[in-house]
Amino acid sequence: MKVSLNCLKQYVDINIPTNDFLDKMVMLGLEIEECVDLSEKMKNVVVGRVEKMERHPDSDHLWICQVNVGKETIQIVTGAQNVFEGALVPVALHDSLLPNGTKIKRGKLRGVESNGMLCSGEELTVDDSVYPGAEVNGILILTNGEAIGTDMRSVIGFDDVIVDFKATANRPDCLSLNGIAREAAVALGQKVTYPSSEYTTAGGSIENMLSVEVKAPDLCRRYMARAVRNVRIAPSPEWVRKTLNASGIRAINNIVDITNLVMLEFGQPMHAFDYRDIGGAHICVRRAEEGEKLTTLDGKEHVLNAETLVIADSERAIGLAGIMGGENSEIKDDTTTVVFESANFKRDNIRRTARALGIRTESSARFERGIDIQTAQMALDRAVALVCQLGAGEVVNDTINVQASPYEERVVTVDSRRVNALLGLDVPIRTMLSILNGLEIKTTEQDGVLTCRIPHYRDDIEGTADIAEEILRVYGYDNIHPTEMKAVLKPGMKTPGVLLKENASAALASLGFNEAVTYSFIPKKAFDLLCLEEDSDLRRAVEIMNPLGEDYSVMRTTMAHNMLTVLALNINRKNPSGRFFAVENVYLPKQLPPTEQPLEKPIACLGAYGEGEDFFTMKGAIEDFALKMGIHAQLKFEAGGRPYLHDGRRAVISVNKMKIGLIGEVHPDVAANYQITGRAYLAELDLEAAAAAADHAFAVKPLPKYPAVKRDIAVTVDKEVPVGELIDQIRAGGKEILERCELFDVYEGAQVLIGKKSAAFALTFRASDRTLTDDEVAAAFDRIVRALDRNCGAKLR
Amino acid sequence: MLEKLKAIRSAAFARLEEADSMQKLNDIRAEILGKKCELSQLLRSMGQLAPEERPKAGAAVNAVRQEIEARFEEMRAIIQKKEKEAALLNEKIDVTMPGKRLPSGGLHPINIVRNDIVDIFTRMGYDIVDGPEIETDYYNFQALNLPLDHPARDMQDTFYITKNLLLRTQTSAAQIRTMEKQKPPIKILSPGRVFRADEVDATHSPVFHQCEGLVVGKGITMCDLKGALDLFAKGMFGPKTRTRFRPSFFPFTEPSVEVDVSCSLCDGKGCRVCKGAGWIEILGAGMVNPKVLAGCGIDPEEYSGFAFGIGLERVALLRYGISDMRLMFENDVRFLNQFR
Repeated sequence: MKVSLNCLKQYVDINIPTNDFLDKMVMLGLEIEECVDLSEKMKNVVVGRVEKMERHPDSDHLWICQVNVGKETIQIVTGAQNVFEGALVPVALHDSLLPNGTKIKRGKLRGVESNGMLCSGEELTVDDSVYPGAEVNGILILTNGEAIGTDMRSVIGFDDVIVDFKATANRPDCLSLNGIAREAAVALGQKVTYPSSEYTTAGGSIENMLSVEVKAPDLCRRYMARAVRNVRIAPSPEWVRKTLNASGIRAINNIVDITNLVMLEFGQPMHAFDYRDIGGAHICVRRAEEGEKLTTLDGKEHVLNAETLVIADSERAIGLAGIMGGENSEIKDDTTTVVFESANFKRDNIRRTARALGIRTESSARFERGIDIQTAQMALDRAVALVCQLGAGEVVNDTINVQASPYEERVVTVDSRRVNALLGLDVPIRTMLSILNGLEIKTTEQDGVLTCRIPHYRDDIEGTADIAEEILRVYGYDNIHPTEMKAVLKPGMKTPGVLLKENASAALASLGFNEAVTYSFIPKKAFDLLCLEEDSDLRRAVEIMNPLGEDYSVMRTTMAHNMLTVLALNINRKNPSGRFFAVENVYLPKQLPPTEQPLEKPIACLGAYGEGEDFFTMKGAIEDFALKMGIHAQLKFEAGGRPYLHDGRRAVISVNKMKIGLIGEVHPDVAANYQITGRAYLAELDLEAAAAAADHAFAVKPLPKYPAVKRDIAVTVDKEVPVGELIDQIRAGGKEILERCELFDVYEGAQVLIGKKSAAFALTFRASDRTLTDDEVAAAFDRIVRALDRNCGAKLR
Repeated sequence: MLEKLKAIRSAAFARLEEADSMQKLNDIRAEILGKKCELSQLLRSMGQLAPEERPKAGAAVNAVRQEIEARFEEMRAIIQKKEKEAALLNEKIDVTMPGKRLPSGGLHPINIVRNDIVDIFTRMGYDIVDGPEIETDYYNFQALNLPLDHPARDMQDTFYITKNLLLRTQTSAAQIRTMEKQKPPIKILSPGRVFRADEVDATHSPVFHQCEGLVVGKGITMCDLKGALDLFAKGMFGPKTRTRFRPSFFPFTEPSVEVDVSCSLCDGKGCRVCKGAGWIEILGAGMVNPKVLAGCGIDPEEYSGFAFGIGLERVALLRYGISDMRLMFENDVRFLNQFR
């Protein structure tokens, strides 16, 4: 809430420098959003009187004015046509600064010396609500008999500091001048001087004028009304306009301004109805009919539903409760009788309605935060007091008050020892008492137990912790000194899920991949970009009800979209190569629409492109990664996979017959969809499935004691037979004495028959307990040759 | 004869001096010490001497021979050294040419920060726990003292899946789950991903990351909170770092504080990073609200606790001088490569 310090000074004496004062307020718990010293925005602008005017000799519209600015009379040329001899005007002297940032220096206008500038309202950034007549086309003519030479800052309220205080969510009372003044008084060690609520009544009774019925007591805890007759609608006096303007509220007329001023002072939104427009002289607080229409003060028509609370007369809605009044009952220039409303509406209902209708007003903002039930009465008293003070009308006797249940003061008892135990301090009881009473929490003490009577506007104070906070914020947060907890010594542990992700990331980083962090939601169209089948399980995704846009609308079921997006960005930025990984969750619903939390599956996703990258560098990375994750069993790669991978260059990865992931080259159609040029490679591993295959009983193998025997073998075989199958047969034939089998050449071409290929392997034989004999090796080699022939049709070359 | 020996010796020394390679040196050796050399001829001609002079003359010849041999060895060492030096010089390379780098990857800055924070708290005995990113309304809000009508629960702030399921807005939900399962003492840190419906800009992202800590036990005080955060700040930002509490409000804690750390760049004097304030707001904290404890079946009369939450992006932005949060989610390799 924006507050003028000049205004606040009427409640408390701010007798220390502004910055010190604001620091104290911050340490009490109010945040400062912004602090603007208006006096810095305008300099060297004073009130002057135009003594003499004559035409500029070389211009048909310029005037040469002799202007008395107090100490001297200076010559100023102006192009304005509304200036006259004897007029009081704002004068920007040589070397002056205007609030719109313009700097004025003396100079010549068509050869005639001009020692400054006469200012318009616009140049001073003021309008009619600040100074009546400011919006005229021309120079602002001052009409209040201001003394010549007066600093204009004091005329238009620029001799002020505007502070935007941000109240925390538990302190709706600080959305008011009263509330901020109470905090300021505590900060300064003073008492608050509140504005007067004294008024006189002129007879009659509102009871004879109006009846009020609350049909929705669940949404309206209290409804109060007062009447004012013989109203004279007029502009408000300067001080009211200045106060409203400082808080960003436009002055309208005395009655409307009174409701707004009271809202600023008390935090209680009010409304004024033209009595003539309350049909049947009856106010009914009810839920709207489904489809009922109401045009609000801003001229917008709203279609309401049964959740909307309205103020209605005997026939129609005349206001959106707590948000904005209806156009059909607004205060007009000829309004003669006014009904003031001061009510208490339920905060979440107002919040939902304001959100649904897209209106946010000073009123709705305050109701949303919550207002106590007692303030309604105080605000109404102040409003009619202002009617008397401003001479805006005659206050009719009596108040209408419809209230579901009476207010009960809350009393909280707190053990002072528990306060100290919570804070870790030793605040003396008498200090606690003085702090709490200073906060208007009337507190007594017996045997160390505090009995605290909570003020009506502090609904947030409920128990020990709240009282401890109240004491601490005055006692001072700087008194909290660091201590070390006494605790059982025990090492910190990580859950398996945390460890798994940490280890996987470290392993992938060590393999030369850069970690990417990506959003968990993807566009719905991603499934089309990935060319997934219409009935693909991956299309079964959790949707967000209120996404930021289509691009962030569904929770991902695959990491592929995110990784392809990362690759595409890097390729489009001409980065020559990249290797990326992400260890993040996919979200798999158990049912759609979801009725319980989806399964969150951690995935390690790898992506790479650029020179030197191919399917086998990716495969090698996966194999190394598996080893680093403790998987010592052989990974199996079988052709196959999702449609976003190249049909001839993709594989399903499994270990111990359990599927753990996919690897492949990105399908050219999909690459095109993502604007990926050149080949790119992708792998996805289900981390939990991979972890399940890890061999925790792993022990080091002893180094070999006996020599190895090396043999090469080359075979020709049908082109279609995968090398993996040949290796399987070699392993099967070689049995336990075959230590290693490494592919060193694959050849297709002139040296072999069409449809065939040649594959050559380096074999290493070794036994762990003896030196192998030539016969043993020869026998193993024969078994291998036979196995290759029998099971793969491979012939020795 | 002595005259002759002298002449042979000086001639041989002069010849050896002429050698500039091992090849030549060996040739000269054959010439001056070989079978046909003058010294051998001299030895052979000793038969003409009187028998009593022979041993003396033989000794003299042998002495000269040894002198020449010794000189030869000296020359050999010198020439070998020169030749080795020449060979090394011949293999000279340009050491300013670029190094051949093996591919090396790295972690994302957000996770480097997370790992550092996790490390510090693990050493302080905190268990690291995780929880679901898609949460129920109860765990994300109600159990954290954010009842259904609380203004902080706007549709604008939270992504909803259904009326009851949402993307968690804080990792505190994981703490509630721990408190329900585990009796005090509890000492946990929950790092993780959270979501808020903020439009993407330089300081906002709808996806971001937090580490939230929770301690519940008997006699836990606000001074203990300050002690824990002080240790953390010193571990994270350097041993000279100081911490400061400012009052604040969070529904989950009471009293609540914003925690500032002294700017590690300027040591609190005021600079660009701390915008002249000397302090940087780094996290929110407070004493666990008794309502939250009670809701998890922990008696607030018997136990107290504290909680704190750190935004990882904010720490990463500060630590690495990153000016725009969007950089962290683009994953440009030129950005990521800087974190190896």
